[in-house]
Amino acid sequence: MSTDAVQLFTALLALATLAATVVFLPVAIRARRGHDSEIVRAVVEYRSLICALIAGGSMAGSLYFSEVAHYVPCTLCWYQRIAMYSLAIIAITATIRRETPTPYFIVLASIGAIISLYHWLLERFPSIDTGACSSAVPCTLVWFEKFGFVTLPFMALVGFVAILTVCVAPPKEVA
Amino acid sequence: MSKQTPNRPKAATAAQPERRKVSTLWVIIGVVAVVVVIAAVIAIVASGGDSAKTAAGIEQTRPVTVSGTPLPQFESTTDDTAIGNVVPTLTGASFDGTPITVQPGKPTMVVFLAHWCPHCQREVPVLTQWAADGGVPKGMDVIGVATGTTPDRPNYPPSDWLEREKFPFPVMADSSDYAAANAYGLSAFPYFVVFDSSGKLVTRASGELDPTTLTTMLQTVT
Repeated sequence: MSTDAVQLFTALLALATLAATVVFLPVAIRARRGHDSEIVRAVVEYRSLICALIAGGSMAGSLYFSEVAHYVPCTLCWYQRIAMYSLAIIAITATIRRETPTPYFIVLASIGAIISLYHWLLERFPSIDTGACSSAVPCTLVWFEKFGFVTLPFMALVGFVAILTVCVAPPKEVA
Repeated sequence: MSKQTPNRPKAATAAQPERRKVSTLWVIIGVVAVVVVIAAVIAIVASGGDSAKTAAGIEQTRPVTVSGTPLPQFESTTDDTAIGNVVPTLTGASFDGTPITVQPGKPTMVVFLAHWCPHCQREVPVLTQWAADGGVPKGMDVIGVATGTTPDRPNYPPSDWLEREKFPFPVMADSSDYAAANAYGLSAFPYFVVFDSSGKLVTRASGELDPTTLTTMLQTVT
């Protein structure tokens, strides 16, 4: 698979995740208000597994782009990596141990989502930063863009928001 | 009276949710797998070949010879201790090999641009329009230097980018070790160096500059 194909592949996965998130969010909110839902029960049951798939997939993609495609991560990329890689490790461990450490997911995904959103906006509107590119790796650098808006921080943002949405579903005993 | 075997139905009832759990797990795994496979197929089919080709004789980096004392690294326009220093002479070539020299003799503004830098991508049309509007003072040379060139980075190659943007000034292709940029003390992109006809540094700036700032910056240069 060429780098271009992997870019498109990850962008499509991000859009699919975004679509699933948009569909699931209102159902999860309704479930919190007492409306029982089969899909919410399933998501709550396998919350750690779903978070592990999202965070693990994001981590694999991020490692591919830095280690195989040689896209050097900028400072904001590193901050997002700290959140996403921690999420992946915690979620995989929790899946194996059959635990659901939702507060950890929420805290890490919230921090990551805020940084990703800022990074994505910085790519859209470079002038909100210093107005110049550092000679090393500026955070305004757009390594690639698909469909006119899907970039690396956007994909990370979708991952964090998807994890947060999974965590919006009611806790096990309620669902 | 026949003996009842209450355990059997109970066990069957308890096994049902467990079976349901397992089937839900497989549904989740199945949906994820299907989405992954579809995305992979689309990505492979849609991204076949079609890599950018550059015309023969065009090189994105060219050797650059520096003679003279390099300028210290640029930090700030307001407290630039290098002002008054004589700039080093740069001898190199454009993308197509046409010789270009940056040297004292005429008031000159040198603009360092990186193809991957979003601020440079925004500044190039500004410079193009500024030139079209007659913003360049009479007798002044403006020379671009394409530096920081990295094939792995976006918007490569710079020759195509600047041609596409109809960049109106001659462009020197910096060497692969960025000799021109280092000699002029570049620390960020885009980067502007202005010197007078005797080669003395008048001002330096980095970041996006609007036409008014450009014109003001060059007003007193002789």
